[in-house]
Amino acid sequence: MKTISELTDFYYKNLHPILQDLDNERKKVKSRVIYSVFIFTLFTLLIAFVLSSYHVSFDIFVFLVFGYIAGIGMIYKFLSIGYRSHFKEKIMKPLISELDDTLTYSPHQHIPSHYFTNSKIFTSRIDRINGDDLVCGSIDGVHLEFSDLEVEKKIDNIKNNKEEYITIFKGLFIVSEFNKNFFGQTVILPDTAQSSFGNFVGNFLQSHNIARDELVKMDNVEFEKEFVVYSNNQIEARYILTPSLMEKILHLKKRTKHPIYLSFINKNIHIAISYKKNLFEPSIFESLLKHKVAMEYIETLHIATSIVEELKLNQKLWSKR
Amino acid sequence: MSAPLIIAIIVILVFILLYNSLVAKKNQVENVFATIDTQLKKRYDLIPNLVSSVSQYMKHEKSILEDITKLRAKASNPNISQKEKIALDSQVSSALGSIMVAVENYPELKANENIMQLQYTLTEVEEQISAARRAYNQAVTDYNNALEQIPTNILANMMGYSKKDVFVITKEERKNIDVGKLFNS
Repeated sequence: MKTISELTDFYYKNLHPILQDLDNERKKVKSRVIYSVFIFTLFTLLIAFVLSSYHVSFDIFVFLVFGYIAGIGMIYKFLSIGYRSHFKEKIMKPLISELDDTLTYSPHQHIPSHYFTNSKIFTSRIDRINGDDLVCGSIDGVHLEFSDLEVEKKIDNIKNNKEEYITIFKGLFIVSEFNKNFFGQTVILPDTAQSSFGNFVGNFLQSHNIARDELVKMDNVEFEKEFVVYSNNQIEARYILTPSLMEKILHLKKRTKHPIYLSFINKNIHIAISYKKNLFEPSIFESLLKHKVAMEYIETLHIATSIVEELKLNQKLWSKR
Repeated sequence: MSAPLIIAIIVILVFILLYNSLVAKKNQVENVFATIDTQLKKRYDLIPNLVSSVSQYMKHEKSILEDITKLRAKASNPNISQKEKIALDSQVSSALGSIMVAVENYPELKANENIMQLQYTLTEVEEQISAARRAYNQAVTDYNNALEQIPTNILANMMGYSKKDVFVITKEERKNIDVGKLFNS
């Protein structure tokens, strides 16, 4: 597996001509979008002007505003679709192959929803699941797959009588083989109760959470502050979460700088990192040659694949072979 | 209903809740210790296999092998107390550690399928024991806290509950490979 600096070298050296071409394409798309939005704005203003002279109800204006916003979104999506798929085909794909040659990339697929549900990280019902950028393969003999995921739940808004969706999770979802045998389920969530309510009340709320298994108090102080652990087997939870694994998870959390959820179920480890945005999507307003933009893609890809080494999933010291 | 009656009912309810929580904590400690026992047994059961596999090669380490066989015999006595079990555990840990380090000096043993399998199983059992010890310590800490905190301390006094000891994890814990010893021999 390559390091971040090797990837950055590859990006700027080998992919340079493609980056140039793509940047030219991006500039063309950007001017097309700006031009179209300008025309569309004028058009909308014209309609508004016409409508105002006919004394129509206020609701129509509200509808017009929503329509305008939706229209801009559609213009952007439609005009940039070529650029975005070129990015995935010509930049993402080679980057991923360079990272490790066993990895395959499917830009339009995502982690199957049963992996998400079975991970038991989120307990609510799932009504809609979308995603892309599926990467599959094995690093150092350990099977790994990850993708972007956006998972939503439907709520019935009685006021407007419409269906609304709220996001349960949006970010990177990773599944990998774990190197120890275990039979129960252990879930690790960010510790919000302890930080909002302090130790005493927080602990009370957490130990009486009916949606979850038994609370497991871990013996690493920093880990306890950052995470809350639920498991149906107190001893197995500690067999999995050794002092060294807890340190590694803390280190991973610092590296990703976003909320991180984990679970150990069914011989696998599941990791959900809530980025709250769709990753690996190029913006038409920022050049791919810019260091900040490039590093974001490279860093995220590297974080996802380095899970195997960071958490030492490739260490086979126990009877699971 | 009159006020004193309501107060009396509330007091009784609270009493029952506190009593139950104390009992639950005491039982949790015993529950986890029982699991430690099971894991210790698993480890003891691996010892005869280990001793017979290495004894033909490891002529110089005869004394350690005899020691560990004696420790195992002691451990299989059903009448030993919890304190003795804990003491035996750390002795067996260090004896096993010495044997596994000594194995590193015999290339025929290191390559032996059976020994490798035993090594993996031993590592697994040791880690399970370690996890069980940690769970035990947490259970004991919760129990001891309840014994000292208000209002459960009053109740605990009445029930005659006393503090329990946590497992002290000694430095002789078996490490997977003691690289220093490996290069010095």
